[in-house]
Amino acid sequence: MKWATIPALVLWALSASASDDLQALTLSGFATLGVVATDKADMRFTRVGIDRPGTERPDTGPDSVLGVQGNLRLGESSSAVVQVVSRENTKGNYAPRPTLAFLSHQVTPELSARAGRLRIPFFMQSDSLNINYAHPWVRPPEEVYGLSPFADLDGIDLLYRVRAGETDIELHPFFGTSRLSLYPDTKARLKRVAGANLTLSHGDLSVHLGHAEARLEINWQDPFYTALAPVLRDLGRDDIVARMAGNDGTTRFSSAGFQWDDGRWLVIGEYARRQADRYANSAHGWQLTAGHRFGTVMPYMVVARHIQDAAVVDMEDVRSLPPLPGLAELISGFNASRNLAQHSVTAGVRWDVHSNAAVKAEFTRARTDANAWGTFDPSNETAASHMGGRSINILSLSVDVTF
Amino acid sequence: MSHSRIRCRLRRTTLSLAGALAFAATTAHAAEIVLVTSAASGIPALTEEEASQLYLGRRTTLSDGTAVTLYDLPGGPTRDRFYELLTGKNSNQIRAYWSRQVFTGRALPPREAKSADDLPTLLSNDGAAIGYLPDGQINPRLRVLLRLP
Repeated sequence: MKWATIPALVLWALSASASDDLQALTLSGFATLGVVATDKADMRFTRVGIDRPGTERPDTGPDSVLGVQGNLRLGESSSAVVQVVSRENTKGNYAPRPTLAFLSHQVTPELSARAGRLRIPFFMQSDSLNINYAHPWVRPPEEVYGLSPFADLDGIDLLYRVRAGETDIELHPFFGTSRLSLYPDTKARLKRVAGANLTLSHGDLSVHLGHAEARLEINWQDPFYTALAPVLRDLGRDDIVARMAGNDGTTRFSSAGFQWDDGRWLVIGEYARRQADRYANSAHGWQLTAGHRFGTVMPYMVVARHIQDAAVVDMEDVRSLPPLPGLAELISGFNASRNLAQHSVTAGVRWDVHSNAAVKAEFTRARTDANAWGTFDPSNETAASHMGGRSINILSLSVDVTF
Repeated sequence: MSHSRIRCRLRRTTLSLAGALAFAATTAHAAEIVLVTSAASGIPALTEEEASQLYLGRRTTLSDGTAVTLYDLPGGPTRDRFYELLTGKNSNQIRAYWSRQVFTGRALPPREAKSADDLPTLLSNDGAAIGYLPDGQINPRLRVLLRLP
């Protein structure tokens, strides 16, 4: 059976039984209204693979989300879940799409198996990336979470939960595929995703470890690639083009993180790494967050860093090319536009104004690496050539609710 | 004091029902909040650990595999105190925790009773249901599974 048919089946099951057994159906939802503004008119804040870089200042695109979820109990040990989310996509519209659509079966009290559309859990908070209410921040730090723009997992997973002494252990293996639209007009895919996460919770501390591997396909359609590919082919360098885009890559994601939450102090740290043999760069990132609750108000600080380990096109390849005017600059631009390297310091506050609503404000000062665009997109062609080594102030405000 | 001695006393003296209740109240320590089920339910007494696994959504069944239905009280001091006593998490932590459990598709939150007054009826209609009340509010239709603290 094709995985794509599962969401349709689950939706059908939900609608068919919704009328005759309302007891078994639970509807709930979450929403964020967020605005973000930078102090540089030529640098637009963007989340790779999530939103379309906007000309609006402030921009409501990167953080605003509306999600609705239906849980249907199917007997004592099975259930169906459908979650539909509307948020700005890389095409610039808000077309709702299924973000969860799976059937779940409790095999034993410790083990549940799920099949359908799931969240891809590459990093510690990846599966709740849309659920801003669950996080202290306006959004999980891009220095870490920008490493994987992939969000859907069409496949299966297992959740094995046991308790050893006073430690809760969750083992979470997963398998499947994932598709993604990148800005502008680029299709990316992960095939044969195989990974596992281990979460240990002991009192106020929880520790996460995760690793996954997959086949990678990216067919770029951005101006850098479409300008470079024909030139490189004319120069007989199909080998370089084959490393920039195609259907034959492999990638690996690894992460380790912890969260300490004793009700007053909240400390979260995570290190994550992406290795790609082609089409995308290899990079790693880390973030450290510390917050303190004063009743319903929690001020917090975040320090974060994203570092490139290997560019998409190696500098040795660039040096081996004939010195055509502008060619090296174009390749540098291609590399830089795929490099999120930057460091940032954030001061923020979360205020739980109501039992199911939180207001957040964040001020971030970020500095892009010399050869990187960071988490920004140039607002015009002139800006594209000087995105590196810039300091940017970002103000983010949001209201999160669950219902 | 052993059960046989209590039974002996009950046999020897003619304690009134009120007297027996007063006696029970002095031997069992006064709890703040009690986890309860219907008096007719077959659910055995729970440990704090079992109850906390259930109310954190890490388990949906008892250790023998029996599925249980959990009830929450509406948002308020009793509910906040219950989670604080059982899980050590305050209300903001619990709501953030549960939003993550629900919207990642891991677990469903407990059903919500309209009020503490509605809970005994909901529990007596479903032998697999569990809820919690302030200790003073339990009645003969309910059986205590766990006392907190």
